[in-house]
Amino acid sequence: MNKAIRYWNPYLEVLPRESLGELQLKKFKRILRWAYDRSRFHRALYQEAGLRPEDIRTWEDVRRVPKVEKSMMRTVQRKDPFPYGEALCVPLDDVTEFHQTSGTTGQPVYQPDTWQDWEWFSECWATLLWAQGYRPHDRVFLPFGYNVFVAFWTAHYACEKIGCEVIPGGVLDTQARILKIQEVRPTAMMATPTYVLGMADVAEKKLSLNPASDLGIRKITCAGEPGALIPSTKRRMEQAWGAKVFDHAGATEIGAWGFECEAQSGGLHINEAMFMAELEDLETGEPITQAGRPGKLVITALDRLAQPCIRFDAKDIVELSDEQCECGRSFRLLPKGVFGRADDITKVKGVLLAPTAIEEVVHAFPGIGDEYEVVVDKKGDVDHILLKVEMLEPGTPAAKELEAKLRTELRVKTNLGYDIEVYHYGSLPRYEVKARRFKDLRHKGAA
Amino acid sequence: MKEEKGTWAQMASRVEELGRLAQDLYDASEDFPAVNRNAKRILASLEVLRINLEKIAE
Repeated sequence: MNKAIRYWNPYLEVLPRESLGELQLKKFKRILRWAYDRSRFHRALYQEAGLRPEDIRTWEDVRRVPKVEKSMMRTVQRKDPFPYGEALCVPLDDVTEFHQTSGTTGQPVYQPDTWQDWEWFSECWATLLWAQGYRPHDRVFLPFGYNVFVAFWTAHYACEKIGCEVIPGGVLDTQARILKIQEVRPTAMMATPTYVLGMADVAEKKLSLNPASDLGIRKITCAGEPGALIPSTKRRMEQAWGAKVFDHAGATEIGAWGFECEAQSGGLHINEAMFMAELEDLETGEPITQAGRPGKLVITALDRLAQPCIRFDAKDIVELSDEQCECGRSFRLLPKGVFGRADDITKVKGVLLAPTAIEEVVHAFPGIGDEYEVVVDKKGDVDHILLKVEMLEPGTPAAKELEAKLRTELRVKTNLGYDIEVYHYGSLPRYEVKARRFKDLRHKGAA
Repeated sequence: MKEEKGTWAQMASRVEELGRLAQDLYDASEDFPAVNRNAKRILASLEVLRINLEKIAE
């Protein structure tokens, strides 16, 4: 095999845009027909909208297809067949994989997959890992306990597919994982940005190791949180590990739909051979096709069969670019990747606030720790933001000066004022997956 | 590119041949689980090969 080949799929990844569009439309019609014929949920949804599969001929027709929200899947899954309900499109005997969403926003949604779906999911991951430079000579460490969540399962299988050697690092604590890395010298690793920084911190402070010079990791693929495309967070990770850090985007119900390539353009490619991404205005729901305007992602997994994902409201906030990436792929770029969640972006004092904007500022100050917490609450009738950060020596003149600089920079970057509480290093909660650093207490129940 | 496309189109037709063979194996192995389940798995992988080469001959 020619390992110098830049693309996992040298045909699809450079397909001219017009051909790519034709392929997507063909696949969209096919998955819609598949779901209409097999899923009671989808058929009822489309019939209610007065739509039959043969009505879909153009991109305008595609936009008439009703969207699916996670809350709808929760309702569907209360029906038979147990536990997947009426969106299941294959016999239960053909389901070979069970996973579920994390339940962060409510009752978890169950995700069935067939062998074919699982191969396809791994293929999406193989595409992104190859684009990030993973090759058969790589030894890949996965510091994560695989479980009912889909996280890193298909990354593992994709590594196998590429021919990498995979080291499953589950059921070890952080120190044991670091020592295992030191012992077996993997070349690459995958984790959430929070955990990548947390591991570096433990290596330095508890094991007196410098990850960049002592551990040999040269590629890190991040998942689960947006940090790998927040420049200051990416810089922290790359400096701590002496490695290139790449982002990827995916979800249980969708698949691994976006990836950063070796060119590190600052954005994510949408894998448009396997997914169809549409953008909608956050308030009006109007389609967005032009570059540079933030919108909400509506996405279709074009080849996933057991429980189709058709025009799924992903709640990810992204914007399109017309720039061509120097990697040569024709897949469209999303600058800054997923830079917010519709669930998280909120108005504070009438100003739209994305938690990623706060992280970008906090992590740009070397004297401030990796962990932080944002609490939005009301003081009387007025919105109030409290930012908790960690410093090595709070209360000193240097710390006070840093705090003042932080407050000014936050005001400049987010147009909002903050109260800042400074804690001793190690006081704030540590997370391994899906950090919940943003709490909005203005309404009943914390976010 | 044209030459590559020809080679890739040939690959696509080989995938169809493989598909027919794997389907035959699957159909003939109802009473032989070790063949039946592995043939079914090959059929699943073949679908991903089809996805990878879709529309190449058009």
